[in-house]
Amino acid sequence: MSLVWLKLAVLLYTVAALAVVPVALYDRPRWRQAALPAAVVGVLLHFVSLAETLNAAHHTLPIDRHETQSMLGLLLALAFLATFARYRTVAPGIFLLPITVLLTLAPAFRPGTELLPLANSGWILLHIVLLLAAYVALLLSLLMSVLYLLQERRLKHKQPGLRGMPPLETADQIALKALLLGLPCMTAGLLIGSALAEQTVGPSFFLDPKVLLSFALWVAYIGMIYIRRHSGLRGRRAVYLSSFVFLAVLAVWAANQFSAVHRFSAP
Amino acid sequence: MLVLLGVSHNSAPLELRERLAIPAGRLAEATQTLAAHPGIREALIVSTCNRVELLTTMDAAALAPGAEDAAHQQQRQLLRFLEEYLAVPSTTLKPHIYQFRGREAVRHLFRVASSLDSLVVGEAQILGQVKDAWTVARSVGAVSETLDPLLQRAFRVAKKVRSETQIGSSSVSVASVAVELARKIFGTLAGKQVLLVGAGKMSELAARHLIQQGASTVMIANRTEDRARQLANDLDTRVPTQILPFDRLIDHAHKADIVITSTGAAATPGGSKLFLPAHGRLFLERRRNRPMFFIDIAVPRDVDPGLNKVDGCFVYDMDDLQQVAVTNLASRSREAAVAEAIVSREVDEYQRQLSVLDAVPTVRALQQQAEEFRQAELARAAGRLQGLTEAQREAVEALTRSLTAKLLHGPLTAIRSAATDGDAAALDRWQSMAAGRGERSGRRPAQSPSLQDFVLPDRE
Repeated sequence: MSLVWLKLAVLLYTVAALAVVPVALYDRPRWRQAALPAAVVGVLLHFVSLAETLNAAHHTLPIDRHETQSMLGLLLALAFLATFARYRTVAPGIFLLPITVLLTLAPAFRPGTELLPLANSGWILLHIVLLLAAYVALLLSLLMSVLYLLQERRLKHKQPGLRGMPPLETADQIALKALLLGLPCMTAGLLIGSALAEQTVGPSFFLDPKVLLSFALWVAYIGMIYIRRHSGLRGRRAVYLSSFVFLAVLAVWAANQFSAVHRFSAP
Repeated sequence: MLVLLGVSHNSAPLELRERLAIPAGRLAEATQTLAAHPGIREALIVSTCNRVELLTTMDAAALAPGAEDAAHQQQRQLLRFLEEYLAVPSTTLKPHIYQFRGREAVRHLFRVASSLDSLVVGEAQILGQVKDAWTVARSVGAVSETLDPLLQRAFRVAKKVRSETQIGSSSVSVASVAVELARKIFGTLAGKQVLLVGAGKMSELAARHLIQQGASTVMIANRTEDRARQLANDLDTRVPTQILPFDRLIDHAHKADIVITSTGAAATPGGSKLFLPAHGRLFLERRRNRPMFFIDIAVPRDVDPGLNKVDGCFVYDMDDLQQVAVTNLASRSREAAVAEAIVSREVDEYQRQLSVLDAVPTVRALQQQAEEFRQAELARAAGRLQGLTEAQREAVEALTRSLTAKLLHGPLTAIRSAATDGDAAALDRWQSMAAGRGERSGRRPAQSPSLQDFVLPDRE
């Protein structure tokens, strides 16, 4: 049954993803009435599906790749709704919602089986949720920087700015606040992960490529916030910086393949 | 009969509209005077700078029989009001007036309320002005059973047009375009600082718009400091103003989020522009890259166009602002076509509902007439029915009721269909048929059917 809810959620996310396009790009605000309810119901069904899946498997956290993807998708959809609640703009949805759909497609139609170690530990749950939240914040920040750039280009070229897009300062605030929210999540997530790895693998865990890259990412994350706050970096250069850090995230994700202490499959 | 007579920016020059305009303070009295005119049942006057319109329901029975048709008589009555009340001769008015009756009057009212007949299509003020006219007319008891629901319907149509189209969503004046652009950059203008360079009328107007939207501080730099002070006094006193020395403009400009320039002369003695790209980079550095918006309405321009290439600086000159206004206006025209379709549908729906309501008295009259015939026939047969028991009397009563209802079914269905289809001619025929029993004596029109034709055989 949980897969049925998830499939419905994917369908609703797709509807929402399509409906935000006319709002953001074609000045058709009435489509918001389709996008928001679809996203809200999608999130509810997604949550029910995830809860049922975890309950049926007698664990409290995502333990395979697809479940993790599904949770990341849920967090992205929540980030979309939270941004709307705070800034009254659905424009981030033109990126966030399609990514949510892509992330939840595979779990909805082909549930995975690769298990994580320490699946029954509450600390692992925190570690995963906090890091996923940090990734979502980073992605949101990158997307808002791109929206800033698009709107800035239109204004510079004397084309009427898109009404569905957030104003430049709003886009900038969302981008910065997302990073500021993401930093404590990433810091706590890494510390918890390090403590768990230290317990199971011993002090050598720090030499693992995945762990090294994660800490490098953390430093880059802090550096990005510092630069944005102190030099007021915006527009094109902000997109470059965010893209660089996001590539670092992808590298950290890919490092799972080479890691001895951090793999989705059981050791 | 609903009759609308008026002049507007489409039909009359400003000089005439000025003579016809009724000040808000006199609108109640004027409406009352119009409503008291012979033959006028309800009245409403919409008076704005772009139009003066008299919307009335007129009594058809009050029209004088003669060669002149109803439309001309009604027009003459309304013109007489304008002539008497505003002292504008009919001969001056006649070439410029328009008159709509019935359905066309409804359509015109819906178009006016929806801002489709406005000078700037889609502007929002007209709806408020029609609402004000309605409030005044209600307060003096000049609108009731016809105009009151019609006006409320017009407001609903206007709301629908605004919510279902983008007709009023973009700015079409240079000052409001500047505000709209500023909002696209800064979101809210609350707390933003505005710098006026030059103290011309246009920059004052743009500054007023920005202050209305929440700009918190206005700095003014002008070559003549007295003029700057005078402008500071003219602006909204709730907003703090600061006079800057013109020769130290570059030192202070970075504090402003929005710079409006209108010096209207060669900016510097050397002929170079007042704000150059190098200045922009300096400002941005001092502002930690927070964006700046330059509105250059000076001719020749005060801001070097190259400044627009500096990241974080947005420069719009007069041509750019006008170009955005023209684009927005074109977009409004496209939306107006959609709005016209909505108005047409609403007019049809209103007329249909009106026809159904119009048919109610006819239906009631027919039912009453049939009941009178039934009672008369029962009374005539009373002598022959004396021997019946109570139960048999009730059976006869029920039988006659049932027969009457069955015989009426056809005509009533035809009336309802005619009402729903808006078949006014058929409705008129049924109305005249139901007008009274006297018609049976031969006074009814030869072609009109009679209820007797359906209900009873002619006994004469």
